[in-house]
Amino acid sequence: MKKRLLIVFMVLAMVASMFAGCQAAPAGQDTPDAPSADEQVSAAPEEPTESEESEEPVTISFVNYSAIEGNAETIDRMKETFEAQNPNITVEIETLGYDDYYTQLQTRIAGSNAPDCFELEFGPFVSFADEGVLYDISSMMSGIDTNVVSQSSLDAFKYNGANVALPYSYSTCILVYNKDLFDEAGIAYPDDTWTWEDINTAGEAIKALGDDHYGIIQPVSTYELFKVVAQNGGSLLNEDNTQFTVNSPENVETLTYLCDRILNTNIAPTAQQMGSLDEWGVFMQGNTGMIVTGIWCFTRFAEECDFAWDICVEPGNKAKATHYFANGLAVSGSTQKAEAAYKWIEFLSTGHDMAMARVEAGWELPCASYDDVLALYLETTPPDNKQAVFDSLEYVVSQPKITEFSQMGDILNTELQAATAGQKTPQQALDDAQAELETVIDLTD
Amino acid sequence: MMLKKSNNIFGAVRFYVFALIIGLLIAVPFYWMAITSLKTESAVLTYPIEWIPTEVTLENYASLFSSFSFGRIVLNSCIVSVAYTFVALVSCCMAAFAFAKLPFRGRDTILKIFIATLMIPAQSTLVPLFMIFNGMGLTNSYFSVILPSLFRVTGIFMLVQNMKTIPNDYIDAARIDGASYFKILFRIIVPLLGPAVATVGIITFMDSWNEYLWPLVMLTDTDMMTLPVALSTLSGMYERNFGVQMAGSLISIIPIVIVYLAAQRRFKDGLSLGGIKG
Amino acid sequence: MKNKNSKGLLTALPFLMPSIGGFLLISLIPILFSLALSLTSYSGLKGLDIFSAEFWQQNFVGFENYQKIFSGSEFWDSLLHIGYFIILYIPLMLASSLGIATLLNKPRKGSVFFRVLFYIPVLTSWVAGAIIWRWVLDPQYGVLNDLLAKVGIQGPGWLQDGNWAMVGIVLASVWKDMGFYGLIFLGGLKNINPEYYEAAQMDGAGKTQKFFKITMPLLSPIIYFALVLSLINAFMIFAQVMIMTGGGPYGSTEVIVERIYNYAFHYHKMGYASALSWILFAIVFVLTFIQQKAQKKWVNYDA
Repeated sequence: MKKRLLIVFMVLAMVASMFAGCQAAPAGQDTPDAPSADEQVSAAPEEPTESEESEEPVTISFVNYSAIEGNAETIDRMKETFEAQNPNITVEIETLGYDDYYTQLQTRIAGSNAPDCFELEFGPFVSFADEGVLYDISSMMSGIDTNVVSQSSLDAFKYNGANVALPYSYSTCILVYNKDLFDEAGIAYPDDTWTWEDINTAGEAIKALGDDHYGIIQPVSTYELFKVVAQNGGSLLNEDNTQFTVNSPENVETLTYLCDRILNTNIAPTAQQMGSLDEWGVFMQGNTGMIVTGIWCFTRFAEECDFAWDICVEPGNKAKATHYFANGLAVSGSTQKAEAAYKWIEFLSTGHDMAMARVEAGWELPCASYDDVLALYLETTPPDNKQAVFDSLEYVVSQPKITEFSQMGDILNTELQAATAGQKTPQQALDDAQAELETVIDLTD
Repeated sequence: MMLKKSNNIFGAVRFYVFALIIGLLIAVPFYWMAITSLKTESAVLTYPIEWIPTEVTLENYASLFSSFSFGRIVLNSCIVSVAYTFVALVSCCMAAFAFAKLPFRGRDTILKIFIATLMIPAQSTLVPLFMIFNGMGLTNSYFSVILPSLFRVTGIFMLVQNMKTIPNDYIDAARIDGASYFKILFRIIVPLLGPAVATVGIITFMDSWNEYLWPLVMLTDTDMMTLPVALSTLSGMYERNFGVQMAGSLISIIPIVIVYLAAQRRFKDGLSLGGIKG
Repeated sequence: MKNKNSKGLLTALPFLMPSIGGFLLISLIPILFSLALSLTSYSGLKGLDIFSAEFWQQNFVGFENYQKIFSGSEFWDSLLHIGYFIILYIPLMLASSLGIATLLNKPRKGSVFFRVLFYIPVLTSWVAGAIIWRWVLDPQYGVLNDLLAKVGIQGPGWLQDGNWAMVGIVLASVWKDMGFYGLIFLGGLKNINPEYYEAAQMDGAGKTQKFFKITMPLLSPIIYFALVLSLINAFMIFAQVMIMTGGGPYGSTEVIVERIYNYAFHYHKMGYASALSWILFAIVFVLTFIQQKAQKKWVNYDA
């Protein structure tokens, strides 16, 4: 009898817990907003105009990953400000871990449970746009102040002529160098006149300081390669992205340059020499002269490096070329609340507070430009030469706008790893990559 | 007599030596995990690896507790795992009983089909499963992660092997006394299989406690997350803090170890697959 | 007789209901979905409207996915990699778990402590375990190479070396699983009637003879169970590969489930990924079937 009671109790407890945990389905059945053509939501710090129609209360869901890097409080504050300005809209924010962000996001979209708006990087943006799961927001963008968010950054998130996302934040890559080591080797600091040759010379001088020293670290991956080949006048795809040009002579030259440093002169460490440390880990040890990496390193380097360091624009060969990585905000193609969702993402994209928070956290730059925010960015040292970040923007090369970029990247990475490990010559590696890419990826559809 | 005694000492020495070696093999990685959780971020990345931390800090644990409502997350994991284990045990015992003791047509075929489902990776059924559960309105509810416990093939398989070894006489005698099969299962068979049931319970609890992919897509609300999922939200695009991750993992292990210790008294003699004594 | 069987089904049904209900919902229906998807070029991004004619019009590609898989080299390479894993893992795992089981068979002071200790890796999640092992296998300062250096061996590059990366994964997997199988074998050992050993002892049998003539045969059903389970799991390794090597270096540890995951969630080719899962299923199914048939030759169910 007792035992039976216990079982019954446990079953009841279990059932009760299920219902306690059951969340009411998000308010998806509310009436959609009435279209409002003459509504203006201008960017802060101006006084926003009041919403003109009286609308039904609406709840929108927003999913992002950026709020993890120290921006959680800010985004909550922005939510409060936004909701105060738009009393009929409630924003539900979900911040997901970055590692499985796309698994979760895509599962929801595929399962017809897409959030109303979400954050996404440039690469996935292309795929998502291609699949048609992003809402065309072109018609809603009339109120955006292009002094705050530049036309070119708005254009970056166009697909087939339509705006399908707003820019959120961006970053670029620069050359970071260890001033102390340069002093020790008695050579001049890198500057904007440098080319690949200069890197190699300086690298060897620093390598000579000791066996465990390295001249330069630069990852050899697809993400790096599409930019570095541009420094040598090459490209991974042709102009209209209909063909792979991975094994062109210029590209082979480029890969040879990258591999020689590792395998011949060893001024760059092999994968085994790096061990389980990543590029930053090795550089922060203090025995490496230079590293090519993203501006999101500043915070960590400032905290951890116990040597003096500074930056300059990444040296090129025939030309300079630098990265442009961007995060965007999009409205889901299947949402019923496009207007409200758009208002929120425009608010985030152009918002002053979020911009300030990004600069304070120091990972990447906001696309919204405000004088005080930029001033703060330039003032925060190290590195002293923050100006180099903005100079780099003159030479940006954005990643190939093809939907299969992810797969292309993985295929190419495999070959690049083989080349940097000395298993294949650069020519072989790129030839094999070209062949594999041509077989597996159809660019013409 | 003398021979036996020296044999014993020999045997004992051998035991302790081997046990120590293997024990070290197991313990050293965990030692690394523990000290990493107590190191500052920069110390974690120091090369050569610091085997004796120069500086011990609790900041990783503090970080953990402040990053999300830790208590709530642990509670979620507990509720889910306990309920999951309970439902799974009931369902598995019932099914195993049918397979082992109640002959019916198609019995072997169905069992084989069940085992075949082990061969399909979770990644390929993720999206369809999500669609189904979402369609039923179960996102962000405990129900969504507990429901799959109804179908646990490993549990069924193990219990079937064990139940087969129970002589049918027990059942026949009870039937003569007029007991229902249900009663027979839960009053006679299950108690007899204490160790096996405890084993299945442990494994099920552990599986559901550590489960990642399904709760990841089903429980995205910060109030509903389970521990492994919550730990993954600590990794941003740029911030990768091993110290905090290790702290979280250590904390994650503690409840399972407790459950294991409690239940392992039941199977002192190891996981019994094919036999009950006496 | 017919009566007995149908009566049997009627009696058995209530007991089977929960599992079968779960099976239909959690397994059968999603599996059928996935089978359907394998015949499409569905990306996995757009809302899945599997019952609409439009969806099928746009996405149906017949057996093209399967064709591509078999004609490309990637699939066969990943199969090779899994084969490499299995050849190393299974013997090592069997040896170490049997070793542990034999060790713990005689109750001694401290054996309970060790029994708990051996099981702790099993209780850990792979997230923690993989990160730990990445550091253990560090070529320069990890514990393993450190120990090897102490006995004068220069350790290889482990996870950074194409030839050794899989070995590293095997070591981590054995570490994680040996407690699990060890305890299973321990249970089996305990069930062997000590009279057999005594009889053999009286006949003058030595330790090795006892092991191979008594222990192994009587343990064979359990070894069979362990083999079936570990083989299935070996084909499906995922977490340790993703976290320890991500499929590298230069693709040398790419395995099938890792490919499935990447195709489904990174390359936006869910149809292709579904086809891969079905091929994997077929392979594992055939292997298990072969094992089942083979068990008559070496598995001993008496006593």
